[in-house]
Amino acid sequence: MTASPDRPGPPPTGPDQQFQAHVADGRLWLQTCQDCGSAIFMPRILCPHCHSLSLQWAPASGLGTVYTRSVLHRRPKPGDDRPTEHAIVLVDLDEGPRIMSRLPDTPAADIRIGMRVRARIAGEDGARVVLFDPEESKT
Amino acid sequence: MSNTLKGAAAIVGVGTAGLGEAPGFNAMDIQALAVRAALDDAGLSLADVDGLFCANMSHTFPAISTIEYLGIAPRWIDGTNTGGSSFVAHAMSAAMALQAGLCDVALICYGATMRTGAGRMVPAAEQPAYEIPHQPRYPMTAYAMAAARHMAQFGTTREHLAEVALAARAWAQLNPDAFERGDLTMEDVLSSRMVLEPLTLRDCCLLTDGAGAVVMTRPDRARDLAQKPAYFLGGGVASYNRAISEMPDLTTTAAKDSGARAYAMAGLGPADMNVLQLYDAFTINVILFLEDLGFCPKGEGGAFVSGGHIAPGGGLPVNTNGGGLSFTHPGMYGIFTLIEATRQLRGEAGARQIPDAETVLCHGNGITLSHQATAILGSENTL
Repeated sequence: MTASPDRPGPPPTGPDQQFQAHVADGRLWLQTCQDCGSAIFMPRILCPHCHSLSLQWAPASGLGTVYTRSVLHRRPKPGDDRPTEHAIVLVDLDEGPRIMSRLPDTPAADIRIGMRVRARIAGEDGARVVLFDPEESKT
Repeated sequence: MSNTLKGAAAIVGVGTAGLGEAPGFNAMDIQALAVRAALDDAGLSLADVDGLFCANMSHTFPAISTIEYLGIAPRWIDGTNTGGSSFVAHAMSAAMALQAGLCDVALICYGATMRTGAGRMVPAAEQPAYEIPHQPRYPMTAYAMAAARHMAQFGTTREHLAEVALAARAWAQLNPDAFERGDLTMEDVLSSRMVLEPLTLRDCCLLTDGAGAVVMTRPDRARDLAQKPAYFLGGGVASYNRAISEMPDLTTTAAKDSGARAYAMAGLGPADMNVLQLYDAFTINVILFLEDLGFCPKGEGGAFVSGGHIAPGGGLPVNTNGGGLSFTHPGMYGIFTLIEATRQLRGEAGARQIPDAETVLCHGNGITLSHQATAILGSENTL
């Protein structure tokens, strides 16, 4: 991978830098073990399943299933205009790995364990993250 | 081969200090008071201590700072930090060091003043990089996620979770040292403020100041000391992940392995345990650990705790001091499982004493269901 216009500076080297560079460029890519075939997240230098060092980046489908959820109920405070509910999910990606994320456009009460979701990359340049939306609503 | 640590060491002194609120004192101050209390209890002095086991979240080098503060020069030092489970794991490490002759008197200690100091649970300095952007609230988010998954997968209810809080409070009402001793009803728990769905305020442990210390030595010396020894019968640890998002199955903890290892070493099983001390940072923890440690099948923990089964007068006494939910919780709780187990085995637990307690299982949980440590203690009759 080389530097891109959105990402000045030297090309990313380590696994974390490479993952973040893909996300910064709008892509959810995962490492895949060339020996045991496992898809891997969080990014690592070796496969946590077979301990091989032969990992290559590959596009993920972006599809997954909500494994669990939690909802922080904030006590409203003066001057704090954040939503009073903050839902976080763990999504099991179809490729295998699990990832923490949010469904920012879905009310917390509508986020169900077992629901199908699809990833998107969102956020400002320099602070992009992997978020999810319900997959049902897009069919 | 795995039986070599059974009976290799015993707890001969326990002490606490600064439980609840200790305004004006720091963590090292109240830790030192707990250490003095534990050594006085054993009939030993700080000059006898030549092995130190210590962990905390306030110091980068907890064992070294403790050595300096106490004015000791131990020849064996173990600062392994696995979170709140550390001290239960230290019991096995201490037994190993004592058996190997690396030390003769092992001191395990902890102190924290998060309540009067920071006024909040101080999270670890380093947190999982891929979780932080989503603004989880550690450690609670992780336990809420485990509870939500357990509820969805097994039909566990908020009433089941509340049973754990009610049992803890009922035990605390029998413990004069407990921080929360007021009456608590099912309705109180269910209607308390929702903090991190599905966990309410009453599903969460206390945040107190507090310190605890445990002194261990070999059986030959233990028999000549002031107190009835609580023998180390077996221990085990297990860990697979740091981050909750890396945990393979949020409804099955590594306690399954730490418990199996402890039972194997002790040559005992769940049916042989008279009393349990399970680290209850949140109500869901007790349900998970009862299942993973073999007291009921996976998924049936909610039904198991129902009807006051783990409360005073129930079938299985769990967290007889009132636990982290109602007794004390100064950030890391593991050491208090060892202290209460020892008091139960000595028969000095007062109104909460379990008659003829011969075996106690202590279970420590670290970080966000990240590390599990089990230790089984027993009376002389169990050797």
